[in-house]
Amino acid sequence: MPPTESKATAQQPDDHADLLAEIEASLGEGKLPLQTFNSEAVHQLELDRLFGREWIFVGHESEIPEEGDYARRYIAGDPFIFVRDMNGDVQVLFDSCRHRGAKLCRAEQGNTSHFRCPYHGWTYKNTGDLVGVPQKEVAFKNLDQSEHGLHSAPRVDSYAGLVFASLGDSGESLEEHLGEFTWYLDIQFKLPDGGMEVIGEPHRWVVETNWKTGADNFAGDSYHTGFAHHSIKQLGLGGDDTVGIAGAGETKDRHVHCDGHTTSTRMVEGEEVFMTYPDEIVDLFNPDNVTADQYRAAKEALSFTGSVFPNLAFLNFGDITDDPNKDVTGFLGLRKWRPLGPNKTEIWSWAFAPKRASEATKKRIYKVYMSNFGPSGNFEQDDVSIWNGITDVADSTFARHHDVELNYQMGTEEMSEVAYDEEWPGPGTVYAINLEEVGMQKFHDQWFEHLSTPRDGTAMSRECGGGCGSAKTDGCGSAKTDGCGSVKTGGYGSTKTDDGESPSERGRPEDGE
Amino acid sequence: MATNTDRESELDRFLLKQRVERFLYEEAALLDRREQTEWLALLDEDVEYKAPLRITREHVNDNFSRSAYYFDEDYGSLEARVQRFESEYAWSERPPSRTRRFVTNVRATERDDGTVDARSYLLLYYGQGDSSSYTFLAGRREDVLRPNGETFTIAKRHVYLDHAVPKIDKISVFL
Repeated sequence: MPPTESKATAQQPDDHADLLAEIEASLGEGKLPLQTFNSEAVHQLELDRLFGREWIFVGHESEIPEEGDYARRYIAGDPFIFVRDMNGDVQVLFDSCRHRGAKLCRAEQGNTSHFRCPYHGWTYKNTGDLVGVPQKEVAFKNLDQSEHGLHSAPRVDSYAGLVFASLGDSGESLEEHLGEFTWYLDIQFKLPDGGMEVIGEPHRWVVETNWKTGADNFAGDSYHTGFAHHSIKQLGLGGDDTVGIAGAGETKDRHVHCDGHTTSTRMVEGEEVFMTYPDEIVDLFNPDNVTADQYRAAKEALSFTGSVFPNLAFLNFGDITDDPNKDVTGFLGLRKWRPLGPNKTEIWSWAFAPKRASEATKKRIYKVYMSNFGPSGNFEQDDVSIWNGITDVADSTFARHHDVELNYQMGTEEMSEVAYDEEWPGPGTVYAINLEEVGMQKFHDQWFEHLSTPRDGTAMSRECGGGCGSAKTDGCGSAKTDGCGSVKTGGYGSTKTDDGESPSERGRPEDGE
Repeated sequence: MATNTDRESELDRFLLKQRVERFLYEEAALLDRREQTEWLALLDEDVEYKAPLRITREHVNDNFSRSAYYFDEDYGSLEARVQRFESEYAWSERPPSRTRRFVTNVRATERDDGTVDARSYLLLYYGQGDSSSYTFLAGRREDVLRPNGETFTIAKRHVYLDHAVPKIDKISVFL
């Protein structure tokens, strides 16, 4: 479908109130207005109030292993340079010269000691420090270079090699944002000795889908798998337990809601499955890297699918292949929905393998990932084709005028059979069935809280831990102490820099995890 | 002054190019007619079919990933894709897309082992459904063809797309 013309001019800020009220009423019934999935007004609110302050995934540390390695990354529309600086620290620098604003980074990735602005030649170290101003003694004699380093994303932090940045000056720390959901991230990213690494470069492609549809899908849509991906099962590319009808199989299926994030798993109780990874990989999985409970969950798991609020998703998929005559394997994929407009999303998709796996095994894992996900993936092709249709109708006059709502009531007491797993060893609310959409409701609730909370924080937001109200004045309210320095000095849009602190100190991810 | 030998080798090159063009045009026609099973018969069992990701680098204009691909296929995985497209539930190609492959700039060179290096440009129109929208994919291809009587089979195809970030919902066609 062709992109819809922008309706920005038609939707003035005052329209937000009506729209938000409508969304709120809808959410209360486990529904959501269809127009939410293709609305310029919603998109603008999301840019400002959601992507403008929430923790957004930037990249994995293994993508920039050497000093000077960099890659251009985005937070919604904003360009950043994801770089490992000369000190070995990971930086997320705003890709805009402090002089006239030109972009410095001309490639998708590379290795460099400096970034030089092509316009007037201002030159920055890969730490962000301004080190060169042409004709400085004449032209900018009194310029304090230490105050003109590249802006950093206001807050940068990492977990298990996953680097996130926030454009908000304050609010929850990354640790608070991820909460106990790290129990599930650990299973995906910490199990093998030597850790996980990205294979190759991420797939990127632009689809005419609203980003929230992808987020919905990974927030527990086990219901679609058996139907939308029926061809996978039919062709013998995926096992019945992985791609079969939800709730109908022999597997132990669980949906978990944990601190704002979700994961779904299919397991075979008592068996050693390990996502059907080959022995070489399973041998790298070390019980010492996780808790006994996490290890057992990984051992029994056939697959994990999950969503980290707001726009990151993962799948650790087993019993899948590129060719029914070849062995199955598992693979770990990570994906990010980058909104480019109300009806346009750039999907980013990374493939992971244990760093210590043999080259042949990494190649095999990548091939199975690529055959199923990414733009040519046998799974992914079918999803996007369907998702586009949602975005298309969401822009309809009928949907707007007749309050067309989408139903997310599966898994509520009124709607369906619900059972919880009280014995589950991990954190979160655990459904003993993979037929529920309450996880998506929780996603929408959080999303709505962000959208209904102005960036100056006049309303209280749960996500902000009460800190939003004081964002501008004492941004450290709820941030961890280590984060304060970077909040103040690297403040997005802030012009002040604390004396004596070099820009390289800004927004540095904390060591370790 | 051209000798007879020059003329003969020029003629050989011309005839080779003619045969390669005829083969590539027929191949494109098969795919555009969605005769994908017939297309598979043009591929060798040991076929290598790859389309690496283009990576934008500052000083290099034509740079491709060595480990990330849109396609990294062998015969078995291509056959699985074809079977999937012909199955009932392959939503990406329901309804089947309309494609037109424009194959141009063909260059052909015989290699010492008797196989042929065939290079070509590809412009692929892609449209689907009752919509006025469409998209194009553009790229160059480097094939290794094995002579098979007057025609060929495909031993290797590397596709180098021109897109840094494809603006297409899915790549559900062969290039």
